Amino acid sequence: MSGARGAHPLLSVKGLTCSIRTPQARLSILTDIGFSLDHGTSLGIVGESGAGKSMLIKAIMGLAPRIAEITGTVRLDGTDLATLPEARKRSYLGRKVGMVFQNPTTSLNPFVKIGRQVAEASRLHLKLDRSAARTLATDLLRTVGIPDAAQCYDGFPHQFSGGMKQRIMIATALACAPELLIADEATTALDVTVQKEILDLLQSLQQNRRMSMILVTHNLGIVAGRTDEVIVLYGGRIAEMGRTEHLFRTPRHRYTAALLAAMPRMDQPPHSRLQTIPGAPPDLLRPEPGCPFAPRCGAADDRCRQTMPDMARSGDANHHFACHHPIPVDAAPALPSAQEGTRHG
Amino acid sequence: MRSTRSRYLRAVALRLAAGIPVFILVTLGATALSDLMPGSAAQAILGDYATPEQIAALNAEYGYDQPVLVRYFDWLGGLFQGDLGQTLFSRQPVAELLLKRAAVTFQIALVAMVVSVLIGVPLAMITAARSGGWLDNTLRAITSVMLSIPTFVSVVVLGYLFSIVLRWLPATGWVSLFDDPLGNLYYVALPVMCLSVHQSAYFYRVSRSQFVATLQEDYVLVARAKGMSTTYIMLRHALRPSLPQVLTVFGLSLTFLLGGSFIVESYFAIPGIGWTILSAVKAHDLPVVQAILSLTVMIFVVVFMLVDLGYALIDPRVEVS
Amino acid sequence: MSRPAVDTEALTAADPPARRRLPRMSLAEYFSFAFLALLIAAVLFADAIPGLIGPNFPYGDFSQPPNWSLNGILGTDPLGRSVLSRIIHGARATLTIVCVATAISLCFGLLIGMLAGYYRGILERIVDLFANTVASLPPILVLLALITATGPSVITMTLTLGFLEIGTYARIAKGGVISQNDRDYVLAARALGASDLRILTREILPNLFPTLAALMPPLMAGLIITEGSLSFLGYGIAAPAPSWGGMVADSTDLLSRFPLLMLGPILAIVLTVYALNTVGDYLSRRVDTRDRQL
Repeated sequence: MSGARGAHPLLSVKGLTCSIRTPQARLSILTDIGFSLDHGTSLGIVGESGAGKSMLIKAIMGLAPRIAEITGTVRLDGTDLATLPEARKRSYLGRKVGMVFQNPTTSLNPFVKIGRQVAEASRLHLKLDRSAARTLATDLLRTVGIPDAAQCYDGFPHQFSGGMKQRIMIATALACAPELLIADEATTALDVTVQKEILDLLQSLQQNRRMSMILVTHNLGIVAGRTDEVIVLYGGRIAEMGRTEHLFRTPRHRYTAALLAAMPRMDQPPHSRLQTIPGAPPDLLRPEPGCPFAPRCGAADDRCRQTMPDMARSGDANHHFACHHPIPVDAAPALPSAQEGTRHG
Repeated sequence: MRSTRSRYLRAVALRLAAGIPVFILVTLGATALSDLMPGSAAQAILGDYATPEQIAALNAEYGYDQPVLVRYFDWLGGLFQGDLGQTLFSRQPVAELLLKRAAVTFQIALVAMVVSVLIGVPLAMITAARSGGWLDNTLRAITSVMLSIPTFVSVVVLGYLFSIVLRWLPATGWVSLFDDPLGNLYYVALPVMCLSVHQSAYFYRVSRSQFVATLQEDYVLVARAKGMSTTYIMLRHALRPSLPQVLTVFGLSLTFLLGGSFIVESYFAIPGIGWTILSAVKAHDLPVVQAILSLTVMIFVVVFMLVDLGYALIDPRVEVS
Repeated sequence: MSRPAVDTEALTAADPPARRRLPRMSLAEYFSFAFLALLIAAVLFADAIPGLIGPNFPYGDFSQPPNWSLNGILGTDPLGRSVLSRIIHGARATLTIVCVATAISLCFGLLIGMLAGYYRGILERIVDLFANTVASLPPILVLLALITATGPSVITMTLTLGFLEIGTYARIAKGGVISQNDRDYVLAARALGASDLRILTREILPNLFPTLAALMPPLMAGLIITEGSLSFLGYGIAAPAPSWGGMVADSTDLLSRFPLLMLGPILAIVLTVYALNTVGDYLSRRVDTRDRQL
């Protein structure tokens, strides 16, 4: 993968499995997730609601609820997180990773001044004193495009709009100059016009600061043109992963192809029927053996239903997929190239 | 700055004004009490051996032969001059008497409140962070029982334990804080303990449920993602949003503490409001009863006003209006 | 994209998920229901219990500790009367007072509360004022003030307790009605031309029952405590009739020599109040899970 700062990738995940034991059954939320992310690279994680995207992020960040059983290895900048004692792991993650969540209104404590919330991480991890933290926070607020940053510092969350609050959240995430920024459905709760502004902001921040970024979303259109690589999740497993351009140009997994076909396009004739994927997401209580997408896949056969496909490589070293009957490489392109995707996302 | 101060003043004035109808209702009712007495009020007070002259004199002096409204306005007039009448038998000025006694009750109530908060709230913080653990389950069971113990039971049991069995604390008596602070501590311990049994359990329960709710908020997840420890999150992020509910409980505790003080003072012979009203009941001393009712209402109106303003101070979203 | 088949958010929330059937009862809850059933049975059938002596009859030695006979199972009091018998008959008195008072508060409280919640406006203001006024005074204070004028009397106490709790029930009813005013079934009934009375009694009132059922036991427990406190002070149920509060007060005379005397009435009160509070908790958990399915 691209990027080079040191020999090891920034984030490396191997065999990550997450399950929750309920009185009824054992739920498999994630199964055998593995990927790596280099410094300065941006990654999109795409999947439907319930595919496990948020749980994946929480598992990596150590934020999963106590009843979740997690196995596998997560290495951040070479360090195996499982080997760190709790307090050190917390501060290590807090310093190196910044997170932006979905709902900016509930992500900010209504009782605490904004400036303090923005600067908080820097005071804790970088040990900045109050005035240095204030300067830092004000600079960050300015960087994310808040007009009148100094006044915002003393304000309270309820005084700002949703888009502004999300910018504030981004500033908060940048407080310790993290090497990785994770945006978990960061634009889902915002108006469409504001979505684009925020995504542009994230992209420019990532490039200017040479951070790595993970964009988690259910909207494939968002990752087009904004991420270097993408992982498609389905039913808690990786369906396909690789460079964004390759995925968009030559999707191999049937699910990826279906997602791409379902995206409405500007060049479709008016009143053309939107493609949908029939069926419903998998029932985590009653997991089927074999490929989780089989019940909804037009090309599925008994083999698909019984045996879980292994990860196979497609041409380019970084393009992997798990499908018994992948789309042939030389099939007609499912949709225009990734660059054009930015018009929609 | 000026506008904030005047806004607060307006808010205070508005709330006090809202308390006026309540005050009037209660004090009017208190004045009307003497009309409830069987036969003439003076007759009932002085007993069977009173002569007609004594009855007439008492009636004239206290106005028991006048209609309710006249008595009420007389009383109100006296109130504004700081004169609440005189006790029936010892002829002491009621206002002066009440203030002295109220100070005692107030001290006990205040200490009991502080102790209960200091016990209940920190424990709630600990168990909210580790809900489902052994401490949480144990405290839930214990507080359940504590909340089921009426004050008069705790006075008897704790009185037995500490005065009779262990002999650590006095069974009765009181020394003023200003006369002898250490001695006062000695006498205040038992009443405070009895009141705190129920109160600390109550504060614990309410605070815990509030903390648990706050800990599920998104901004707590954000704080965890930033790498804050649970202790830091409890103190800096969970405490303030949970305060409004605790404040509400403060106001409601007042009712309990006042009612409890009757029992506690009567049992431990402590010269406070509770003890005063009990002797007044025995002696049919209406002016005292009337004064205590009025004082109580005033205190409640003021306290609830303070609680309301407290919300505005704590929660930046609440407008002082 | 459709909704997930399993809501992982709900599963991972701090509390265990609501089940479709009744919430499982813990040991404490079983015990509470059983205890209350036993208490009610004892109160109703006290006279039919074979061998149980009357509460005012000094049948035995003074201040005896518990022994293995029916009448002596909780010992005897300083006058030689059976503590068990006195507790059961005291329960009768207390529970009668509390039930009558609750009936009064419930009826009037529901009435004015529902009207205030349905019609709002000045009626609501009046009810609020009434509820706030009553709430600003500790019940014992009001009772004592009345007793100063009228002298101690069980009827006065019962009526006053009933009166003082009207505000609480009114507030509950009002809240319950207001939350239903805009619900579809009410609007539908109105569109069909149902009268206000019919809507209130047929549509709205039944939905208040679960909440009321959950809140009544703790409120009744509060009344038991108030009555007990008053009897303890000597202004409630008059001696020689047995009352739990009175029995506790009596036991304090001989506390250093016969500490076990306080055991019977204290156990009775604490267990009863505990049982009522626990039952109330259980019922409000049921209300919670029902609401979640609504």
